Amino acid sequence: MFWVGIAHAGTLISAILFLFRAKWRNAINRSAEAMTVFAVLTAAQFLGIHVGRIWKSYFILPYPNQRGLWVNFKSPLLWDTFAISTYATISIVFLFVGLIPDLAIARDRMAGWRKALYTALSLGWKGTTNQWKAHNRTVLHLSGLATPLVLSVHSVVSWDFAMAIVPGWHATIFAPYFVAGAIFSGFAMVLTMMIPVRRIFGLEEYITDYHFENMARFILLTSTIVGYAYAAEYFIAWYSGVEAEQSAFWLRAFGPYWISTWVMIICNAVLPQLLWFKRLRTSVPFLFILSVFINIGMWFERYVIIITGLSREYDPAVWGTYTISWAEIGIVGGSFAFFSMFFLIFLKLFPIVAIAEMKEIAIHERAHSEEGAH
Amino acid sequence: MPRILGVFDMPGKTAAAIDQIRGRGYTDIVTYAPAPFTEVEDAVDPKPSRVRLFTLIGGLAGVTTGYAMTVWMANNWQLVIGGKPFSSIPPYTIIAFELTILFGGLMTALGLFVYGRLLRYEKDELYDTRFSAEDFGVVVTCQSRDVPELESLLRQHGAMEVNLVEA
Repeated sequence: MFWVGIAHAGTLISAILFLFRAKWRNAINRSAEAMTVFAVLTAAQFLGIHVGRIWKSYFILPYPNQRGLWVNFKSPLLWDTFAISTYATISIVFLFVGLIPDLAIARDRMAGWRKALYTALSLGWKGTTNQWKAHNRTVLHLSGLATPLVLSVHSVVSWDFAMAIVPGWHATIFAPYFVAGAIFSGFAMVLTMMIPVRRIFGLEEYITDYHFENMARFILLTSTIVGYAYAAEYFIAWYSGVEAEQSAFWLRAFGPYWISTWVMIICNAVLPQLLWFKRLRTSVPFLFILSVFINIGMWFERYVIIITGLSREYDPAVWGTYTISWAEIGIVGGSFAFFSMFFLIFLKLFPIVAIAEMKEIAIHERAHSEEGAH
Repeated sequence: MPRILGVFDMPGKTAAAIDQIRGRGYTDIVTYAPAPFTEVEDAVDPKPSRVRLFTLIGGLAGVTTGYAMTVWMANNWQLVIGGKPFSSIPPYTIIAFELTILFGGLMTALGLFVYGRLLRYEKDELYDTRFSAEDFGVVVTCQSRDVPELESLLRQHGAMEVNLVEA
């Protein structure tokens, strides 16, 4: 759930900001798209881990079998399988389609095994009229398709919870709350990764403070939505008069998991409000530190929802207090390592800034300045 | 037939040259560009790319598959829940929606492969690595007698270089 959330900024930047013609996305869309793909791949591993019997995880797919048995499409787990596999596929297609012209640029300037790699992957791209026309149309249509997809994926993930009758989960606000949280955490992860990458690779000319400030604005907006959702959850628990809901939310804030809950609230709803101040919004070191806090806060949000929900259900016979095991810490640590490894390999091998899109802007600017000179 | 290649440094000049060449009745024009420039693409062919047909077909196939698969499977393996109908359209809409996006997206990418003529690795003697840097190339296929006219047209519009390639 955490990793699917992280995956949301990439497609948001690529698709939605493309449709809104927000030019500032060009410098950061490639890295955000790559993060999307690797975050979804990281999340996909957890499907296997969570099934428990990893060798039987293919049972979730509707495939013809000797028992004549089919999966139950009324189950949110099946919706999840279709939503996440579609999201993974479309994100990979989106990333690859955007990369093709840039791989051709790399092909023309490299030698040795890299040239062979980029030649194969650029699929014979030459930048002809037909190719650019088809490419523009493809990016436009993929954006149009990916926009509702972004909003649907985390809604579906939220229904894994909201469709259950567990106190603290069964709420109609879950879909918009999760979508806003996903975009929020995704942007925070883009900042956490791109601030050091910009410094190390010297990309200050392409990824400017203006880009970071725009991302900070998105973080401020989505943090406010997330903060509202937190407040609404507590309000509805109180106002509904449903005892199980009230005790679930009391347990979150003052029970054995109170630290997690307050870390979540402070990191996600309180600290990002500092971004109202322009001085802080434009300070790169502050944004980096804040983004790390948001990552921690959003991880704890998922922890709070799952653990406090399951530790006190309706039946007191199944109540318990959860403590994390060394194996689980290993899995969480491993998932961060898996994500970072693929992101670093991508950085090493592929253009991290969308070169062709940046060229379009640069050449247009040059043309305008020449026209101005005449 | 001879082919003439003009190399330009600006999209505006490239588009103006193509307009003029098309105005003179030449139709076999190919351009190379380092980035997408609608003025250049529209000068060669103002019609939108037919990739959209692929998207439409993929989307329709996806929505049909989504509903057909879920309804058929629910009726083939019947789960009896309090006498309710075996299939339930609202939850199946989620599967149909996801498959619309999935098939639509994959078909759109296929459309790019078909109309962009990708996956053809043949050598193109007119292609130059400058066209993936910052320059634009305009290739016009013509009769031998038209070569001088085209050459002067390209130069008139600011071509930095004009080359004749016999095919």
